[in-house]
Amino acid sequence: MDIVVHEAQPDTAVLECSGRLNMVSAPAFRETVAQVVGNGRSRVVVELSAVEFMDSSGLGALVGSLKTARQAGGDLRIAAPSEQVQMVLQLSNIDKILRTYPDGDAAVTDW
Amino acid sequence: MTASAAEHTLALSCPPDDVSAVHEFLAGVWQDEPSVSVEDRMALELAIVELTSNVIEHGTRPDGVTCRLRLEIGADRFSALLSDDGVAATVDTEAAQLPDGLAESGRGLALVRMVVDDLRYERIADENRWTVLRARH
Repeated sequence: MDIVVHEAQPDTAVLECSGRLNMVSAPAFRETVAQVVGNGRSRVVVELSAVEFMDSSGLGALVGSLKTARQAGGDLRIAAPSEQVQMVLQLSNIDKILRTYPDGDAAVTDW
Repeated sequence: MTASAAEHTLALSCPPDDVSAVHEFLAGVWQDEPSVSVEDRMALELAIVELTSNVIEHGTRPDGVTCRLRLEIGADRFSALLSDDGVAATVDTEAAQLPDGLAESGRGLALVRMVVDDLRYERIADENRWTVLRARH
């Protein structure tokens, strides 16, 4: 998968992801979030509209990254999940834990 | 007239292969089988990738693991068999449940059960066999 980091605010980053969030890409995803948070942006928006596939490895990476952000005093939000990603979020009940926003801009406002 | 099931097969040798090969294989299958609905594609891709990920993560021996995937697409149902020469799995597929919300692993088999009608695991000789069945939607 590809991840483009947008440094939206001094404390907020939007990670524009594309491709697959699975066991192959999950370690790099976690590492990217850890770096973004370590550099002072603990409010993390994960934009998922171009992620065509996510599985339980991807869910684990999202939950782990949520913890990383919260431990630094921030939070993690999901924006614009694709149909497949929405299915997996709902089946796993992770949609109850991670707030989902219609797009990256909506997720960045109102922290 | 009875339509016979179309069979698609994939062989994996991990490493160097990983689940990317399964995604690419399925993309080719959907091209060959345009009648398969988006709902069925999403369910089967999730189930097969979860099972293959489990084999690679938990079944790999020091020298790797070899897997064979056979996907049958029938008029009324799908059948997928994933067999591998890895170490025996110690799972109860019937008992697979979602873990605590903040857990970072342990959701794979629970998700598989949600998107298929039947999930079975068998250890036969030196082989693990994971079978899933799903009715066509």
